[in-house]
Amino acid sequence: MHQLSVRSVIKRFGDVTVLEDFDLDVAKGEFIALLGPSGCGKSTLLRIMAGLESLDSGAIDIAGRGVTDLAPENRNIALMFQSYALLPHMSALENVRFPLRMRSKLSREEQREKAHKALELVKLDHLADRYPRQMSGGQQQRVALARSIVAEPDLLLLDEPLSNLDAKLREGMQVELKRLHESLGLTTIFVTHDQSEALGLADRVILMNRGRIEQQGTPEEIYRRPRTVFAADFLGGANIVELDVAKSSRSWRGRFADGTEIPVASAPGLEPGKHKFMLRKEAIAFNPDKSMTAIVGTIETQNYLGSQTRSAIRAGGVELVAVTDSEKTVTKQRETRIGWRPEELVPLQM
Amino acid sequence: MSGDARRMGREPAILLAPGLFFLLLAFFFPAIQLLIQSFLTVGAEAGRLTMEHYAKIVVDDFYAGVALRTFRLALVITVLCLVIGFPLAVVISRAGKLLRTTLIVLLILPLMTSVVIRTFGWLVILGPGGVLSWSLQQLGLIDRSISLMHTETGIVIAMVQVLLPFLVLTTLGSLGQIPVSLEEASRVMGAGFFRSIRHVTLPLSVPGLASGSLLVFALSISSFITPSLVGGVRLQVMAGSIYQQMTGSFDWGFGAALSVVLLIATLALIIPYMVVTSRAGGKA
Amino acid sequence: MIAATPRWVIAATAIFLVAVGLYMLVPLLVVIASSFSTSAFLVFPPPGLSLRWYGEILGSDAYLNAGWTSLKLAMTTVVLSLALGTPAAIALSRFRFPGRSVIGSVFLSPLILPSLIFAIGLLIVFSRYASGPSFAGLVIGHTVITMPYVIRTVSANLADIDPHLDEAARVMGARWWQRYLLVILPQCRTGMAAGAFFAFNISFDDAVVALFMRAPNVETLPMRIYSTLEFSPDPSVAAVSTVMIVMTMVLVVLLNRVFGLSRIT
Repeated sequence: MHQLSVRSVIKRFGDVTVLEDFDLDVAKGEFIALLGPSGCGKSTLLRIMAGLESLDSGAIDIAGRGVTDLAPENRNIALMFQSYALLPHMSALENVRFPLRMRSKLSREEQREKAHKALELVKLDHLADRYPRQMSGGQQQRVALARSIVAEPDLLLLDEPLSNLDAKLREGMQVELKRLHESLGLTTIFVTHDQSEALGLADRVILMNRGRIEQQGTPEEIYRRPRTVFAADFLGGANIVELDVAKSSRSWRGRFADGTEIPVASAPGLEPGKHKFMLRKEAIAFNPDKSMTAIVGTIETQNYLGSQTRSAIRAGGVELVAVTDSEKTVTKQRETRIGWRPEELVPLQM
Repeated sequence: MSGDARRMGREPAILLAPGLFFLLLAFFFPAIQLLIQSFLTVGAEAGRLTMEHYAKIVVDDFYAGVALRTFRLALVITVLCLVIGFPLAVVISRAGKLLRTTLIVLLILPLMTSVVIRTFGWLVILGPGGVLSWSLQQLGLIDRSISLMHTETGIVIAMVQVLLPFLVLTTLGSLGQIPVSLEEASRVMGAGFFRSIRHVTLPLSVPGLASGSLLVFALSISSFITPSLVGGVRLQVMAGSIYQQMTGSFDWGFGAALSVVLLIATLALIIPYMVVTSRAGGKA
Repeated sequence: MIAATPRWVIAATAIFLVAVGLYMLVPLLVVIASSFSTSAFLVFPPPGLSLRWYGEILGSDAYLNAGWTSLKLAMTTVVLSLALGTPAAIALSRFRFPGRSVIGSVFLSPLILPSLIFAIGLLIVFSRYASGPSFAGLVIGHTVITMPYVIRTVSANLADIDPHLDEAARVMGARWWQRYLLVILPQCRTGMAAGAFFAFNISFDDAVVALFMRAPNVETLPMRIYSTLEFSPDPSVAAVSTVMIVMTMVLVVLLNRVFGLSRIT
């Protein structure tokens, strides 16, 4: 049985269709990322799951219960807001106790104890009596997180959980979120526009575009095998190259704009004609070995990034960007040979 | 360069001077004169210092009664304004643009209409053979003509209508500062519609409600047009007797003393009001 | 809006709003209705409809004089409170100087003191140091109670505007009078307009200060209405009141255009 199922949900704001016949099933204990650019409908979907937004048609089930017409307070879920939405007139402990006060039949003392435990989980029990305005942004976020898990919700929703933190805190919070998910096993769905967050946290990434699922899969599948130009571009801005594909005897060959020909791995659905391929920036290597597809290119500019170097290379009549380990990078040499493993050239649907 | 810098310092002084000078002469000076007047004798031996006017307020049962009525009415009016005004402000703060504008116009139009005219309207409604009496008769609820003129109920009904906008507009300011996400969060955490209002909206609008009700109370103890016209001479309030002392019986000393008592009561309310609002302002 | 607000809550809210709406508006509506009555008495419902009371007020010297006095008084008050309030508002919102917040509260203090108490003080001063209340006394009294509104609206207006415009003008070589004429005052326009509307409305409608500062031969419309109500109200008062209500409506519409009603809160 699914912990959450979203069936044929349609949502419009005026003339704009935000969600188009959206389906999603989430198993108990899964950690899901809804990833996409702003305006793709991911936040609306999260708000619909929470009951904060109505839907035009479709149905939502949570823990086997139809909740489509239930108000948020009757859904037994938790939502961590992007702004945290801590109640300013209550201390951290009171904030964390609030869902218990509303939902559980525990005594006041038991509630306080439970809230305290939740604060311990996020390592904030020593600040239980502070008010939100007396805390740093990172501490406020931990309170919000404790408040979201304290009542053991059927579904934990996180809206851009890391976006208000600076880079250093963000890293720590990622570790924290992952640890909490592993220890509590709550079915968790979070919304983000940051691909590294989605890849780093989720078991399954749902990539959304214009109110639909563009592609879904494990972080590795999504990253390594994007199916569309959009997916390839959104996940780390890969090189997209267009090749004229033809079949010669047994194998496929692709021709660059300037006529350079390379072998192309066969793939289901591949047909002769112009076709787009993805080539990850890290897949390109200097001084290719025998097993690689190799072409000649001209280095145009290079940016030193520390352990890695980014090179813009003109090859096959197009510009390719390569990110390589700095010590393996050819420098100060205009013409050079570059190459990649044949399977790294991934065919894309339009 | 230095001349310019000096002018920078002089500029606000030049801008402020006319207004400050005017206020000093036309506002603060009269206020002090009022205070002095309340300690001066009138009549044949005018101009001597005395406490007799203040003594009269305390000793004379009639004026003690007037003071009591004034504060009792103000309390009832304030409570009613709170009871009607808070839900109204909540609705306005959540309403769509059209409804919101309509409701604000509904509050501001009467607010900006002369109190004399609004009271006139209430005379037509509450009087014998008035709109209220006629409507109740049409509905078959009463069989004889009734009048709420010269009753405290009538004063309260009219005064709440006059003062309600102040409470609602002040509370609306507080409500506007509550992020929508707080109420959404409380709903998601399991608080129903009313519990979410009780635990989130109400506590966070306390500054607005407090300053609004202090304002209503202060305005209510110092208003005389509505109570005088609706209540008549029999149901006098402090402001009404002051008007009578100053313009009818010309007992200025006593009128001034009554005003000073009213002023002290007002300041006792207004100072906490200013503390509340400045604290709320400082937080935002 | 949150999904699934209980239906009965919506119904109860609708009933509540209609009730409050009626409560707020009926006093004005009955005044307007009575002004079209044929009867010489204020009875409800009116026996018939006529415009005779409008004819009556147009032929009444007392009402016409009162109207003219009110108009002159309101106009003078507007000019004076703009002239004194605008510079003060500019100083308070454009400059940082010691005692700024104290001076700010001094300027707004007439809002706090009940106008009744102020009016008595003014009456005492005018009787003791001048030859009693007069038209000028009324102008002064009204300027005191309207100036805070000008200061508020102009300050609110200036708060919305880039403070660097002023410095930019300076850098571009504007002299002080050019800065005021070409940069600062044009920025205050909407605030001044809104302040003027408030000042006009308050002065035109005020009965409190006017009743205390009652001078021989100076009678404003609210004073006239008040004394009529005290003794012998007839539908001509309703006709005058209706005219004033219509004026207020026009002012509210203008105020909304210029300033936005939501900012009044």
